[in-house]
Amino acid sequence: MAPNRRVKRVAASQPGFMTLNTSIKPENLVSNRRKRINKNKKKNWNKHIDVNDVEDFLEDVRLQERTTGVASTTPNTRAIMSNTRAIMSYTRATISTTRAITLCSLCWPLLDSTRNNQQRRGLISDKSDESLFFLDAGDKKAGTQTVVEPTGRRKASRPLKVDLILKNNSLVPVPKDILAYQLPNAKKLRNVAKKAEQLAAIGKVPKKHRPPTKVDGPTKTTAADAPNNPTRDFYDIWGQETKETRDPWYLRQTGKAPVKALLLKAHEVEVKKEKEENKIIKQLAYDKDDRATEESVFQEQVEGLEEEDYDANDFNSACTLGILNLVEKKTEKQRKKERVQKIKEQRRLASRYKTGQQQQLFQLRSIKVSLRQREQRTKERQTQRRANQEAEKYRPRRLGKLKFTAQDLEVQLTNELTGSLRTLKPEGSVLKDRFKSLQKRNLIEPRERAKFKRRLKIKYVEKRSFREIT
Amino acid sequence: MGGVQKKKFDRGAATNYITRNRARKKLQLSLADFRRLCILKGIYPHEPKHKKKVNRGSTAPRTFYLMKDIRFLLHEPIVGKFREYKIFVRKLRKAYGKSEWSGVTRLKDNKPVYKLDHIIKERYPTFIDALRDVDDALSMGFLFSTFARTGKCHVQTIQLCRRLTVEWMNYVITSRALKKVFLSIKGIYYQAEVLGQTITWLVPYQFSHDHPTDVDYRVMATFTEMYTTLMGFINFRLYSSLNLVYPPKKLSALSSCLARVVSSVEEDEAQMDHFPVEGEDVEQMEAREKEHKEQEAQRRLFEGLKFFVNREVPRESLAFVLRCFGAQVSWDKSLCIGAAYDVTDETITHHIADRPNMEKQYINRYYIQPQWVYDSINSKICLPVEDYFLGVTLPPHLSPFVEEKEGDYVPPEKLRIMALQRGELTDFFSILVQDEDEEDDEDDDDEDEEEEEEEEEEEEEEKEDEQNLKKMETQRSQGKVTPGKVKKEDRGRLEQEEKAEEKRLAIMMMKKKEKYLYDKIMFGKKRKVREANKLTAKRKAHDDASKTDKKKKAKKQ
Repeated sequence: MAPNRRVKRVAASQPGFMTLNTSIKPENLVSNRRKRINKNKKKNWNKHIDVNDVEDFLEDVRLQERTTGVASTTPNTRAIMSNTRAIMSYTRATISTTRAITLCSLCWPLLDSTRNNQQRRGLISDKSDESLFFLDAGDKKAGTQTVVEPTGRRKASRPLKVDLILKNNSLVPVPKDILAYQLPNAKKLRNVAKKAEQLAAIGKVPKKHRPPTKVDGPTKTTAADAPNNPTRDFYDIWGQETKETRDPWYLRQTGKAPVKALLLKAHEVEVKKEKEENKIIKQLAYDKDDRATEESVFQEQVEGLEEEDYDANDFNSACTLGILNLVEKKTEKQRKKERVQKIKEQRRLASRYKTGQQQQLFQLRSIKVSLRQREQRTKERQTQRRANQEAEKYRPRRLGKLKFTAQDLEVQLTNELTGSLRTLKPEGSVLKDRFKSLQKRNLIEPRERAKFKRRLKIKYVEKRSFREIT
Repeated sequence: MGGVQKKKFDRGAATNYITRNRARKKLQLSLADFRRLCILKGIYPHEPKHKKKVNRGSTAPRTFYLMKDIRFLLHEPIVGKFREYKIFVRKLRKAYGKSEWSGVTRLKDNKPVYKLDHIIKERYPTFIDALRDVDDALSMGFLFSTFARTGKCHVQTIQLCRRLTVEWMNYVITSRALKKVFLSIKGIYYQAEVLGQTITWLVPYQFSHDHPTDVDYRVMATFTEMYTTLMGFINFRLYSSLNLVYPPKKLSALSSCLARVVSSVEEDEAQMDHFPVEGEDVEQMEAREKEHKEQEAQRRLFEGLKFFVNREVPRESLAFVLRCFGAQVSWDKSLCIGAAYDVTDETITHHIADRPNMEKQYINRYYIQPQWVYDSINSKICLPVEDYFLGVTLPPHLSPFVEEKEGDYVPPEKLRIMALQRGELTDFFSILVQDEDEEDDEDDDDEDEEEEEEEEEEEEEEKEDEQNLKKMETQRSQGKVTPGKVKKEDRGRLEQEEKAEEKRLAIMMMKKKEKYLYDKIMFGKKRKVREANKLTAKRKAHDDASKTDKKKKAKKQ
């Protein structure tokens, strides 16, 4: 029942309007979108709203009122619940599933709205058009059937929207839904009620219905749980000391090794296989440059033919060299001399080697000593370094903008000291001492207290009246 | 082939650290909440080695945390609680603003709170871990328990601290674990040995607080929050180790016994287990046994004595200390609850007072100043009471935490106490007579002391000689020295001379490096001796001065 959207003032919307471009229809020129107008101004009503639209609307409303009557003013939630049950059963029985879904999704928000403002009227005109798709207002029979709870007053005679939506307009009777009369947890509730009755007979009121007394107070669970509650409870927090994790060897022996280990094993096997494969592939591989080309094949074929020449040349040169060698022959004397020299050389080397060995044997001790010294030195250095590192750890560090400044030593001079405990005047603050100690141990960074900074200067003025007095 | 250029600060130190502000943002907490969280979880700032690298090239002074620490904080359930609390505060403020009083009460009833139990368990996986860290907790607890009801911290916190510290003191009393006490100008230091752990804590004097302004109370309160939880659990465990019910009742006066029958001490006394360990001599074992016996004796130092504490004396400290060593203590009824007996009780052996003199004195009890108790505990014997009578100038209160090594300066008072411990000056009466003599002839005193010292020195020398002899004998047994004629008269001297000669030669033969080291060591030793001498000289001068003063006064009178 969309109202007539056309606005009369727009020329294009007038009937018989002709456009210059014939391909465009005049209807398309006017935007289909409804123009948003404020309806709280008389001018706007006059200007933009068609009287016919309003008339139509009112007609519609009247018609509906005539057909359905006014919805009951105070629908209670229980009724709605039962109605929803009915809806479900109805939909299950009659409509196809898709429609059922749409119906449900439509009716839930409606239910909510009725629950929230109970005095609202159930006008069909309030609803969107789609939700009324199966309501035929003209069907008199159906209209008479839908009157659910006619009450005396006229106002209250209008049915609920929901009921209207869900009314059964088919002639087939609704199948009886047994579930509709069942309560969830009915047995339990019944038992509870029974128990309550028994208690009531004795004179006890269940805690739920008892008015809160002053002694009980509101349930304060938080106060007891607060960490600084002076009466809080402690318990044996170290009662069950942390269990030692099981020995991995034990796990392996008992076959309780975790899945991870098994996976690792499998993985290793796979890796081994792959390696072997790769090895073979590598062995079979050849260099790309070694691939036989036409040229190389030709070369191979030709090779033998060319080489013969070279051989001949070589042979010749070798012959000449041999001849030369034969010419320079050593004498017997020379040979003897050479032999003697050789033996001498060998002896020298042997003796040298021997002395070297001996020398090393003698050196062994000094080598050992030097080694030991070096080891000791490294060990010393290590310990020193470790000690330094350890000392470094406990040194107050630079943790922020400010450096740690140690507290002044609290000392009382001899003349300040008093003879007895009664007259002793404590020096320094323990609190400050603790605070500085925390800073010194790098637990908190040294900080300065946030200063209050005034943005604008204060102007001090003496009031005149005040000045007069003094 | 080039490759992608490495980005700066994408790896290494820069990624291992995070600035405080970034950490705070990552955790979505305010600075105050972040600080609290860090304290509770034991996460402390770190100073990176290369600040510039970590700070992305900038040299601005920032506070850094380790990235892994912050990542560890992300999973903390308390963070959620902090956020809840923030929301709670916002709602509460709104409710106040709208003056919805029912809403305010409802909100207050459902105020979100967090528990620190899991954090304690996480930070201290075993009980011993926790016990090792209890020093700080105790100091803080005692400090907070002495706070007055100012707005500086929550009243409930003060009350909880008070409760926990009293519980702790009662445990120490019952287990007789106290070892040392020292009254300093800051407060009273106590040292106890609990389950093999040496625990030291500081208790401030009562009513001595002027709240310093440069201390962040919120930080301290957070620490206290953590420490109180820790202490509670430790107390529970300690009490259950003594088969006592926790929480105990009616303790604050420190007068009543926790257990009906204090049997633990007697049972301990029965016998010590012997576990012969290989490589341990009989001597060592005997030494251990002796030590154990000494400890036992110390535990029962004041057993059988009955004390009465006057009202001007710090009652709590004295009651605690005295009961730790098995004494009975009482005080005036109007002073505090839990007074066991009255002043008029005839069986009282010691009356502790801190005023020049008392008007009404009972004849059968000693009137002493409180220092006697502390000094006796530290020296592990009941010191002669004469030095601590009312109106007497007290001997100096020596710190038990100073342990002199060989060659250090030892004050004459300590020497005297050591002599008493050895049982050399057990005759109190003779000392008394000596004292009287002193008044007549002051110089004697000095000589006496010197004599004492000399005696001791002589003793030491003798001991050294004996040691030397032993060494010689061992050397001989090894077969280095051939048997020959030995002049018995001069043996010791000759030996010494020989040794000195050897030493000199050894020094002469030293390498340059070793020589340097040797000189250094000797220099250090000499300096120590010099310092000790200086101190003794100073002391002597001081004594002389005080004596002349006394003389003058006496003459005037």
